[in-house]
Amino acid sequence: MERKMTFEELWERGERDGLLVQLKQGFPRWQRRRRMRRTAFVSVAVLLVGGAIMLWHPSRESLRYDSVCCNRNVFPDSHWADVAHHILTIESL
Amino acid sequence: MYLVLSLALAVCSCTREADEDPLYLKYSLRQDITAAQLNGFRINDSVKVDVVILVADDSASWQSMKEEFDIRTSEGVTSWLGNIDNPRQRVKRSEVPLWRAMAVHDDHTIAFYRIATAEEFDALREYQLTMTENNIFAK
Repeated sequence: MERKMTFEELWERGERDGLLVQLKQGFPRWQRRRRMRRTAFVSVAVLLVGGAIMLWHPSRESLRYDSVCCNRNVFPDSHWADVAHHILTIESL
Repeated sequence: MYLVLSLALAVCSCTREADEDPLYLKYSLRQDITAAQLNGFRINDSVKVDVVILVADDSASWQSMKEEFDIRTSEGVTSWLGNIDNPRQRVKRSEVPLWRAMAVHDDHTIAFYRIATAEEFDALREYQLTMTENNIFAK
């Protein structure tokens, strides 16, 4: 029956076989790959969330009105909201 | 990719323009009038109204618009409550839905605010009073 090896014996054997060297080289590489994957995943998630917020965040104008249609493209849409507001609030009323 | 496509689709469906009002459609065909329809003009947190704005390009078209809506004054602001199907016809406040129409002579402009309920009427009046007071105190 084979005798159980002590820690020191295992360490010596590991050094002799080059196992420890492989471990020392391999672990940081594996760690780097894992870190890169995690960074990429977080970046994509942040981009998606940012894009969604930009698309859905209501602008100041969209809070004043939903949409505008006009028979001529002479004024920006916000102009008509200004006119609707102005006429309601003319002082002479 | 599917997420981006569905987001874009949802945004497009939300920004789709509402139906055009017959009043707007009628005057949008006129060459001498600039017609605009403002959908969902925000009055307060819970009330939005549609607004049709007609601007006469010159004095002749302003005169014709005044005749069409039976406006007999010639200065300041003329306001009336108009029938929802025929804004020329004056109605009482209780006859909702109706148009709250306001003609500004100096600007050759008439704005029609579509009022569907008594609550919307009150909200519009409240908006007028509040904003006018704010304008006065801001000066």
